[in-house]
Amino acid sequence: MEGTVITITSGKGGVGKTTTTANIGAALALLGKKVVVLDGDIGLRNLDIVMGLENRIVYDIVDFIEGRCRLRQALIRDKRAPELYLIPTAQTRDKSAINPEQMKQVCDELRKEFDYVVIDSPAGIEQGFQNALAPADDVLVVTNPEVSSVRDADRVIGLVESSEKGPARLIINRLVPARVKKQEMLSMQDIIDVLSTDIIGIVPEDEAILSSSNRGTPVVFNGKGPASQAYRDIARRITGEDVPLTQPQATSWWQKLLGRVE
Amino acid sequence: MIAIKGHRHGLLITFSGPADEPWLTRLRELEDKLNANPGFFKGGQVAFDVRDMALSDDDLRRSVALLESHDVTLWAVMSKDELTQARVRALRLSDRLGPLEATPVHKPDVASNGATATSFVGVDSTPEVQTAKPMPAAAPAAAPQDEDHTTEGTDGLLARRRVRSGQVLRHPGHIVVIGDVNPGAQLIAGGDIIVWGRLQGMAHAGALGDTGAVICALDMSPALIKIADAARALRPGEQRSRNKAGKPEMARLKDQQIMLTTWERSA
Repeated sequence: MEGTVITITSGKGGVGKTTTTANIGAALALLGKKVVVLDGDIGLRNLDIVMGLENRIVYDIVDFIEGRCRLRQALIRDKRAPELYLIPTAQTRDKSAINPEQMKQVCDELRKEFDYVVIDSPAGIEQGFQNALAPADDVLVVTNPEVSSVRDADRVIGLVESSEKGPARLIINRLVPARVKKQEMLSMQDIIDVLSTDIIGIVPEDEAILSSSNRGTPVVFNGKGPASQAYRDIARRITGEDVPLTQPQATSWWQKLLGRVE
Repeated sequence: MIAIKGHRHGLLITFSGPADEPWLTRLRELEDKLNANPGFFKGGQVAFDVRDMALSDDDLRRSVALLESHDVTLWAVMSKDELTQARVRALRLSDRLGPLEATPVHKPDVASNGATATSFVGVDSTPEVQTAKPMPAAAPAAAPQDEDHTTEGTDGLLARRRVRSGQVLRHPGHIVVIGDVNPGAQLIAGGDIIVWGRLQGMAHAGALGDTGAVICALDMSPALIKIADAARALRPGEQRSRNKAGKPEMARLKDQQIMLTTWERSA
């Protein structure tokens, strides 16, 4: 059976596409799937850093497309999971180095060998986004619970629909239940009212993300934290498992205290 | 004579009249239309149907330039003349309205700047019903402002879906949306606009000059509404003071001002 190409996108920058890509890729691999994550952000290479594989880059996707290496040589194996690979992007080029047709060809190659190809799309809706969208079977749109990022998600969902790739599914990232309760942050319902899209996961704000990104270890590799759990749930939903969507609840001060004691 | 119709890839402008009429004369007529109704055309994309007229390279280039100066993209020119067809293709324009394969080289731009094509290319269950009735020649000149504002034979656009940010529905007739219109979306109609849902974003009725056009919505939310040349911004808090019960509302033009009235059950 051929693998599935999943594109992670958002329109707006800084909402957590790269972190999401790394963690979903890793979580799928931990479920025993054969996974490759592909950095679609030519010129602003990041996925390798978040995954801690930066210093192992020899060839990148542009090298393959321009014929300087075989696809296999551009694959970097992540040893923390049984079958997890990264294809880095070029740091010294720009989006025009690849076109949507070439991106499709690369993914068609990868599809034969992998269960999942997860593409980290660049921000924006220009060529880099079009490149990342072209090969997609499935599109996940990442948004934060705030108005401008939801607006951009709406725009992107519309573009996904008109390129007949839809319906895109939504990941709400960095939700802080306590702030939703105080009405300082959009709730899940507020977001559904605007986007009317299926939600595939809600990732709560988690301090562990920052330190793990800096260390180059996706949170799903170490742990029990709320974000790690959310990413694992998303991965299971991607594989078709029916995992009920739970809204993160605000924790009171004594629950936090108990958590600390544990 | 120029007639403007809605089409799934934007607007279709049909030129008719004596075959020996110089192209420049017709182009000037189009220019008058563009100047008279900038709000209707701006950001749109159009196709020309010139029937059996033959256009020179110069004619075509002038047309592209004229439209560009009004922020309108020409993507197709249809002519029965084979030489004209070849010239059209040489300029990397489409020579027919046809299916997607034949779509314009301009398409990537369109996709990224969110012009009409992106929203008109059929998605989900988007039934864009356009009645078979013909449009009466282009812009209805300022209609009389009486109660009996009936426009028979005007066609329209029906969209049964959510209109999202960056999407534009543009039609010389009426526009009916069954679904919400999100912030950042635009509806631009020569005639009336009816939204069976929540209207946010921008709605422009009577964009070809019809001051008798109206805008109706179940929920007239924070939105920018325009009728002919008048505009009114509805701020978020304003709705509550205007319309406590949250009833459907209708906007119409009165003394150059846009007035809103709630829709009451008639006795």
